[in-house]
Amino acid sequence: MTGKIAIVGAGPSGCYLAQALLKAAPELEVDIVDALPVPYGLVRYGVAADHQGTKGVTRQFARVFERQGARFFGNLKLGRDVDLDALRAAYDVVVLATGMSVDRPLGIPGDDLRGVYGAGRLTRALYEHPDAEALPDLGAHPLIVGNGNVAIDLLRLLAKAPDEFAGSDLGPGPSGWLAKSGIETITITGRSAAARAKFDPVMVKELGKLTGVRFDVVDAGDSDDPAGAKKIEALAGLSGTGARTVTFRFGLTPAEVIGQDGEVRAMRFATATGEETLPCTSVLTAIGFDPSPDLPRDVLLAGATDAEAGALAPGLYATGWFRRGPRGTIPENRADAQALAARILDDIDPDLEKPGRAVLDGRAELVDYDGWCRIDAAETEALPDGRCRAKITTRAEMVRIAK
Amino acid sequence: MMISILYGTETGNAEMLAEDIQAELEGDHDVTCENLSDVDPAALDPNRLYLLVCSTYGDGELPASAQPFAEAMDAAKPDLSAIHFAIFGLGDSEYDETFNHGPKRLAELMLAHGATQIGERVAHDASGSDMAEDLAFPWAEEIVGQAEDRLGAAA
Ligand SMILES: Cc1cc2nc3c(=O)[nH]c(=O)nc-3n(C[C@H](O)[C@H](O)[C@H](O)COP(=O)(O)OP(=O)(O)OC[C@H]3O[C@@H](n4cnc5c(N)ncnc54)[C@H](O)[C@@H]3O)c2cc1C
Ligand SMILES: Cc1cc2nc3c(=O)[nH]c(=O)nc-3n(C[C@H](O)[C@H](O)[C@H](O)COP(=O)(O)O)c2cc1C
Repeated sequence: MTGKIAIVGAGPSGCYLAQALLKAAPELEVDIVDALPVPYGLVRYGVAADHQGTKGVTRQFARVFERQGARFFGNLKLGRDVDLDALRAAYDVVVLATGMSVDRPLGIPGDDLRGVYGAGRLTRALYEHPDAEALPDLGAHPLIVGNGNVAIDLLRLLAKAPDEFAGSDLGPGPSGWLAKSGIETITITGRSAAARAKFDPVMVKELGKLTGVRFDVVDAGDSDDPAGAKKIEALAGLSGTGARTVTFRFGLTPAEVIGQDGEVRAMRFATATGEETLPCTSVLTAIGFDPSPDLPRDVLLAGATDAEAGALAPGLYATGWFRRGPRGTIPENRADAQALAARILDDIDPDLEKPGRAVLDGRAELVDYDGWCRIDAAETEALPDGRCRAKITTRAEMVRIAK
Repeated sequence: MMISILYGTETGNAEMLAEDIQAELEGDHDVTCENLSDVDPAALDPNRLYLLVCSTYGDGELPASAQPFAEAMDAAKPDLSAIHFAIFGLGDSEYDETFNHGPKRLAELMLAHGATQIGERVAHDASGSDMAEDLAFPWAEEIVGQAEDRLGAAA
């Protein structure tokens, strides 16, 4: 089987899709385009710096380029450097695997105050994404809204002691920022009861290993459902005598962020019995992500031939978070990508006249896979104490090293 | 020798390793490689050596692709007394209490149905510095050597 396929987005979805396509049909020309000069999406810039084991999937993705013949076109943004119609004209198949990256706003009064920050914004800054905004001052009493794994990641990072980042790839800037944060208490709030919280119990158990923290779990309740009981059990197992207090609160629906002189002072919630106001110095939201405005996702999905299968239009497909929404872990993207690969191989009708990668080759400042290997080598050759990687943090430097 | 490598995976690391082991052994043996999700435990073949490669999820549980196999085992209770297997585990010591419990469970399940384990279960640690294949290739070679004695060169 021949054919030219462009996958936009080199995150896990795009990489797993290329892997599955090339495994079934090694003769395909598969090109993976990414807006960043570096591949792997949220595996590099979302999966926590202290969860290096989870990043081990990048060894598989490296093989997709090194052995399976996929090509990487980094530093090329769809919608800015190349438009969708041009890509569709050049390739038999175009797949959108661009994820979702915009922090979903709380949608309540005060959510635009200084001191309200999204988890995406904060994690991008912590993991040194080249487009990240600076790390802000959170004050002594940040409050996290959300109970998913991203919220727990954020909690763990803020609560960790400096020496607990040994072996991670947390950079010197973020490490210093955390060490000097001055955080005394962290409150984490969820809308539902503990039994229905979205976190995985293991994520909570991991918190129990932190040395600098004591925990206060308020009204976790109980549950007959085994999955719910596991969450409650994980919470019940949290102890510790450290200086920082982490308080878990449940059944709190955000109603208003209360500010004074433009700064966050407290958050008001609706509860089952009335309302409650918790004082805080910043509000960190981890309540999901919205699509980036560069692509007309809603229009594409609304007009899709078969949205469930990821078929948007003839020769145009979607996968991963871009298709399913901002839910699900790496394994779900793999299953999704494998199913889509089978669908594409069924549908594809190659047109030998299509130019394929010729429309991308030779553009200025492109970073190819070898360029990424040079960046990777630069990041891993001279390691600071206790770190497994020292990320290059700006696009300009990435592009310079890649050359 | 006839060897079947069966993998249980979620993010694909065990599958990649299984294929690497297959490539490593293929020169000297007749080797197949399959996802555990496609394998019926009652149809295992006594003439083959089974090399299981399996990761760990949740709270020390089997990865998704190994679960149908485990469920079929519980339901059908096949007699595996003529079956020989060895097992290589993938895990992450970040999950210290349940480190490599997935493959441990799978081995226990095989043993409970009468199968014979060859060699020790070896565990890869995703947070460690070893590459999985650097541990798995010597393991596979050692296991195949032992199996040749046990299953006989005829197999
Ligand atoms: C903070 C955080 C922590 C997480 N931790 C874990 C974890 O520990 N374990 C786990 O299993 N899952 C985790 N997840 C979930 C996991 O990251 C996602 O399931 C997965 O990354 C989604 O893959 P994707 O390829 O669809 O999107 P992404 O990983 O977001 O990849 C999208 C890619 O598209 C590129 N792109 C975007 N727009 C354009 C454009 N216009 N042109 C070209 N390229 C573009 C981006 O640069 C990016 O590289 C986490 C998620 C977050 C947000
Ligand atoms: C959500 C999650 C839970 C995990 N739980 C465990 C665990 O309890 N014990 C363990 O040893 N490894 C655990 N791991 C680590 C995986 O087993 C390890 O990353 C392995 O390499 C994955 O292999 P696979 O890609 O074949 O599934 C877990 C990983 C994730 C993402």
